[in-house]
Amino acid sequence: MKKILLSGVVAGLTASSLWSANIVATKVHHSLENISEVSPLWKEADTAEVGLYPQTTVKMFDKKANEMNAENGSKMAKVQALYNDSEIAFLVRWRDNTLSIQKGYRSDSYGDGFAVQFAKDFSNPETLPYIGMGSEGREVLVHLQKAAPNTFEPNGHGNVALQVGRKNTNAFNEELAQFDADVKKAGVVDYERTFVSAGFRSMTEIKDGSVNSDMNMVYNIKRNCWKGTLNRPLKDEYVNLDAPAIPVAFAVWDGGKNNRDGLKLLSGWNSVTLAGKDGGDALVSALNDAPEGDVVNGKAQYEMNCAACHLTKDIQMTMPNMAPELSNIGGYASAGYIRESIVDPDAVVVPGYNRNAHPNTPWYNVVDGKRTSTMPSFSWLDEKSLTDIVAYVKTLKAEEE
Amino acid sequence: MSKRQLAMVMDLNKCIGCQTCTVACKTQWTNRNGREYMYWNNVETYPGSGYPKNWMELGGGFDAAGDLQEGVIPNLEADYGVPWDYNYESLANGEVMTPDTDPTWGPNWDEDEGAGAFPQDNYFFYIPRICNHCTNPGCLSACPRDAIFKRDQDGVVLVDLDRCQGYRYCIAGCPYKKIYFNPKISKSEKCILCFPRVEQGLPPACAQQCVGRIRFVGFLDDQESQVHKLVHKYKVALPLREDYGTQPNIYYIPPTEAPPKFDAEGRIIEGSNRIPVEELEKLFGPEVHRVIKTIKGEIEKRKETGKSEILDLLIAYQHSEMFRLDNNYYQEIAKGNVGQAVHPVDERYVKGAHTKAISHFSVGGGHH
Repeated sequence: MKKILLSGVVAGLTASSLWSANIVATKVHHSLENISEVSPLWKEADTAEVGLYPQTTVKMFDKKANEMNAENGSKMAKVQALYNDSEIAFLVRWRDNTLSIQKGYRSDSYGDGFAVQFAKDFSNPETLPYIGMGSEGREVLVHLQKAAPNTFEPNGHGNVALQVGRKNTNAFNEELAQFDADVKKAGVVDYERTFVSAGFRSMTEIKDGSVNSDMNMVYNIKRNCWKGTLNRPLKDEYVNLDAPAIPVAFAVWDGGKNNRDGLKLLSGWNSVTLAGKDGGDALVSALNDAPEGDVVNGKAQYEMNCAACHLTKDIQMTMPNMAPELSNIGGYASAGYIRESIVDPDAVVVPGYNRNAHPNTPWYNVVDGKRTSTMPSFSWLDEKSLTDIVAYVKTLKAEEE
Repeated sequence: MSKRQLAMVMDLNKCIGCQTCTVACKTQWTNRNGREYMYWNNVETYPGSGYPKNWMELGGGFDAAGDLQEGVIPNLEADYGVPWDYNYESLANGEVMTPDTDPTWGPNWDEDEGAGAFPQDNYFFYIPRICNHCTNPGCLSACPRDAIFKRDQDGVVLVDLDRCQGYRYCIAGCPYKKIYFNPKISKSEKCILCFPRVEQGLPPACAQQCVGRIRFVGFLDDQESQVHKLVHKYKVALPLREDYGTQPNIYYIPPTEAPPKFDAEGRIIEGSNRIPVEELEKLFGPEVHRVIKTIKGEIEKRKETGKSEILDLLIAYQHSEMFRLDNNYYQEIAKGNVGQAVHPVDERYVKGAHTKAISHFSVGGGHH
């Protein structure tokens, strides 16, 4: 349980020549519980660069926020990881020029934040969960920290007497001070939450204390950069990260641009190898190998087969909302996921979105209780075309800001 | 669409703008815990900016093709108005009464201003507004968390506070701006149609306390209910801004009765009406012409024959003539919830409190 701190002394983004796509978690023999962002242990860990891309797959409905985020580019986060026999910890650093903490009595104030996502099952690196909060049968665990101090649980404790306005308490002087203190105590200062999720709309907060994690955010005013830490057990009832290589994804929110769910930057699945453990090559390779294929032919094939429904920033041959927008799909989807979606669109059908909001362009139908994608399978494509399309789609992502 | 639908009809000919409904609602639900600025029920003057300010221009709702539209989230100071207080304690010392902040806007900032030139043709009327508990709610469609749901048993639209994460897309999506952000709990909250009262056979607080007795409450499918008769049988009650496409379930008898205009010499212009029918058309759609004709016809009929069932309904001498709720109906549903006490009927407020696995999620993509 940490607070959001402001700091002018912590080291900011420092250059290193050791960037790599894979994140190597260094093994330490210290406890990682309560590890702070300034812990000297981080000096022992390698730093990897992780691209964070604007979520453009679906469009939310806040007009002002959509205008503020229309031209979003990508960001690079610098990620480090440590582990010991029972715990794992991450340090994420990303640039954010506006320090935003969700303010008190406001209707339209938003806080910065970050999230770390783990896959429940990653035995097959080609069929990892959908990056946007998992998919049916492919659950994810999400750790979220927001810069939103002092919130109150709405229906937790039945402490109605603490909910009245202080002027209606009939209390004065010391009694009133006691009332204020009691109210403050009832608040949750740390907006850290953990969720399980199997797809859009199914995200459910874990409130029973069965996840023993800790997140922390510190803003460096001089360098306009956030440092976020997460430490958690290697293994709990939701995920087992005690493996040679694990997939991890990150997301950051910029409160200054009214970011919150749906308006954020997110990474794809990144591989994290636990140094000293053998294996996991398949996952590392699936998430890091550059896709082979002819991008030029891939684009031509894309225009022929995909562009009639999918929009991207450059190829706009259809109406909005027909299908997921793909401007940044190369940033956050793995080659395996893209291939799977083309060949077997029913494999991952994200529930909920677009049903009521755009009833004329449903992305799926429910047949016998099963969601069936409205996208036809393109499994008839020859292998070369398929490989080329995947290679081209992997190039679809926003430039760095 | 829910199995049944509760509805309310408000007779604008009878609304005197006393705000008793507003106070009934506020003292019951919104005078505490981050809701201080909210008015789940408000009475606004039309023509006017309304509450929140210019809500009709803030987007949301569906276009003709059925696509949800972007909307704007109102600002607390500029659009809702900060709840301010006065230095009452200091008045005894001879100080001048001053507010504790410098308010620039608030609900009813433009109360009774209206439009037109006094005394010739100035006019205004009141519109009480609550959540419309729409059949196709914009808030529900905008929520990416499935945190808003429409109860099957009566169509009341509620926020599941366990699922809500305070994103506020619902506020953008609601064309009536009748869902609010509670900054203290960082979640959205809205009118609940007093469902805990309704489940006990009591009308919502705003309807119970209405001194003008303008509000009728009941189930739309109950042919004996006043709301069924006014909406479906006699078709004299119309939804507000039906063009937003959300299929609202709060209906209005348009203000058909208004004083005549005066000419330059201050003489009554016979047969004139101060409320321009175009304004009513803007609010209630083209059907309003037919409704005006019907109501005027009924008044004539009453004068001639002494009989009119529509006017008998609208006069509403007693609460029993305004509300038809069904305590037994809810008791039966509650019995079906095994292992659950009678209240709350809506088990979604209990579910999810201590979640270990993914809860209450259906393949169909929601709870509608």
